[in-house]
Amino acid sequence: MDIFIDALGETFAPTTAAFALAAIGLNFHYGMTGLLNMGHAGFMLLGMYGFAISTQRGAPIWLALIVAMVVAVLFGLLLGWPTLKLRGDYLAIVTIAAAEMIRFLGRSQSLQGLTGASTGIRGNDYKYTFEALSPFPDERITVGWFTYHGTLSSSWWLRVVAWVMVLAFALLFWRLSKSPWGRVLKGIREDEDAVRSLGKNVYWYKMQALVLGGVIGALGGILWALGNAVQPDSMGRPTTFWIWTLLLLGGAATVFGPVLGSVLFWTSLVVVKRVAGVLVPDSWMTQSELEPFSLVLVGITLMCLVVFRPQGILGDRREQAINV
Amino acid sequence: MTIERRTVVRAVLVFVVAALAVTLFSAMTAQGATVSDSAVSSDISMTTTTVDIDPPDDAASEPAPTSYSGSNRFLQSIVNGLVFGLLLALASVGLSLIYGTTGLSNFAHGEQVSFGAVLTYFFATQQPVSLPMIPVSFVIGMPLVPAALLAIAVAGALGWVQDRYLWSRLRKRRVGLVQQMIVSIGLSLAILNFIQWWVGGRRLRLTPDIDPRYQLGPVYLGEQTLISTGIAIACLLGVGFFLTQTRRGRATRAVSDNPSLAAASGIKVDSIVRLVWVMAASLAAVGGILLALYENGTAFDAGARLLLLMFAAVTLGGLGHPFGALVGSMVIGLVTEVSTVWLAPDLKYAVALGILILVLLVRPQGILGRAERVG
Repeated sequence: MDIFIDALGETFAPTTAAFALAAIGLNFHYGMTGLLNMGHAGFMLLGMYGFAISTQRGAPIWLALIVAMVVAVLFGLLLGWPTLKLRGDYLAIVTIAAAEMIRFLGRSQSLQGLTGASTGIRGNDYKYTFEALSPFPDERITVGWFTYHGTLSSSWWLRVVAWVMVLAFALLFWRLSKSPWGRVLKGIREDEDAVRSLGKNVYWYKMQALVLGGVIGALGGILWALGNAVQPDSMGRPTTFWIWTLLLLGGAATVFGPVLGSVLFWTSLVVVKRVAGVLVPDSWMTQSELEPFSLVLVGITLMCLVVFRPQGILGDRREQAINV
Repeated sequence: MTIERRTVVRAVLVFVVAALAVTLFSAMTAQGATVSDSAVSSDISMTTTTVDIDPPDDAASEPAPTSYSGSNRFLQSIVNGLVFGLLLALASVGLSLIYGTTGLSNFAHGEQVSFGAVLTYFFATQQPVSLPMIPVSFVIGMPLVPAALLAIAVAGALGWVQDRYLWSRLRKRRVGLVQQMIVSIGLSLAILNFIQWWVGGRRLRLTPDIDPRYQLGPVYLGEQTLISTGIAIACLLGVGFFLTQTRRGRATRAVSDNPSLAAASGIKVDSIVRLVWVMAASLAAVGGILLALYENGTAFDAGARLLLLMFAAVTLGGLGHPFGALVGSMVIGLVTEVSTVWLAPDLKYAVALGILILVLLVRPQGILGRAERVG
């Protein structure tokens, strides 16, 4: 029963929402345009740095959000500029390299005053502007099986805001994918040269998709940071790979694929860890070994998904035929 | 070769931005030099469980600063860079060969590197070891050299198994290259966490011996480092000889050039690719073991930390060009080590990745690559 409640709580946890939002951003890159962005965690990290650092310096919440988004836009422009003209796997290598660079810079001692180096930024240093907006009481609230704080950190307030944002951006994705703009992007995904021959500026369209998805990724990063803390090492390559896994699991190029993928991913991680913790005796697998074990399963899931069901749960197989 | 004016302008712009960034950084570092130095060392000892740990505290690159004048430090870092570049080349030659023959950007190659090193630890250590899911621990404790040879053989066998049961099947199913790349990412995630599950997150030392250090002119080199360098050079010469002088090596280069043409002229492409996988996996293991000796230890994520440097080296030299991987590795090795003269050591990997992005701007096909490789 505990396992069931824990798993159910995970379905609407802030982390789940944050990853769903980040995956919606990646869906603009990969699902819609076919861009191989392997550095999505870099966008998330930049977003949370932009938000946390500007809040620390006394910026109000709207300004902090704008700073985070501007930083993500600049990063997207910088990344896209050299690589969007090259073949797809160059973008993959450059984005992954750039995301790691951000992380190395963030955890470098040289920038301790700004980013807090490898310890990062404590939650209390930047969460107050967001928490001050909360309409919920400043105490623990129980709804059904679940008890969370009303306002602080991983709270009901954050859950409500996070899921409203996820729904809003899913709606945006749905509208944009039906728009003429979205049709051009899908055309680029299917056949770049054909779109170019119609007189569209493919490079510029790709750039727009990269920047838009990156900004959504940054917002996902902010949501994540509001539930946890700014920690450069939690936004390494594995994070990007998880986002890819859950996007492909739910179904790339679909509206609710990222959301479903994120819910399934985090819920099943909890279930696997808890069930293995109960069933497997401690002498076979200690508690600390459960984490790598469940991530082995994540890796294998990713491999099997790509080979056997590239369209994911909700997707359409014909939409996922992209290649370089 | 003609260089467009726009490209040059772009390059100059990026150089200016990079120079500004470096100046800014060194100014910041100089401000808190004493603070940050002590903080760096404490930081290294602090982070043991994070997935990517900062640059390892290799014994050779952290000399006592008081006994060193500026130029000596510079020379020492050049020597360290050359050694590191050679070891990196061992690991990345395989990555380049695989890319050349199959077109796959293999993100799981870093795990081959750590697998070799961890397996050597498994065979050689005097500590009790165990396998995942099996609640028995035992001591193998072989001498280092046979342990390393056995580990290389097992790693090579893993390469064979991977190609036989995974990659060749994907090629037969005509799974696209992008999809294959994502499969390799999944594989890397699985192997990385499997190794962590197996040996845990601590730092593993292959040998308890303390490495005697020699002074050669103005620079210091450890005995293990010298031997490792020798082995690395021998292996690289062997690969070079194989590729240029033997029949199979020429066939490999032919497949790398144009697989269908090679198949049409009677080369068995599949068996060449299989051979390349075995070679790549065992070379990666050799690189992993030598790097573990050079850095005085290894960890489950040693290869994962190297993966991007390997990609940088391979892209820099020209994707799919085996000698390009060597050139690129030397550049990356030199850049990472020499940058520590001016910048904080925890930034040296960031510098290498910056160089990668810079080169892609100016010459996307890499130093030795040909322009038509880029789409």
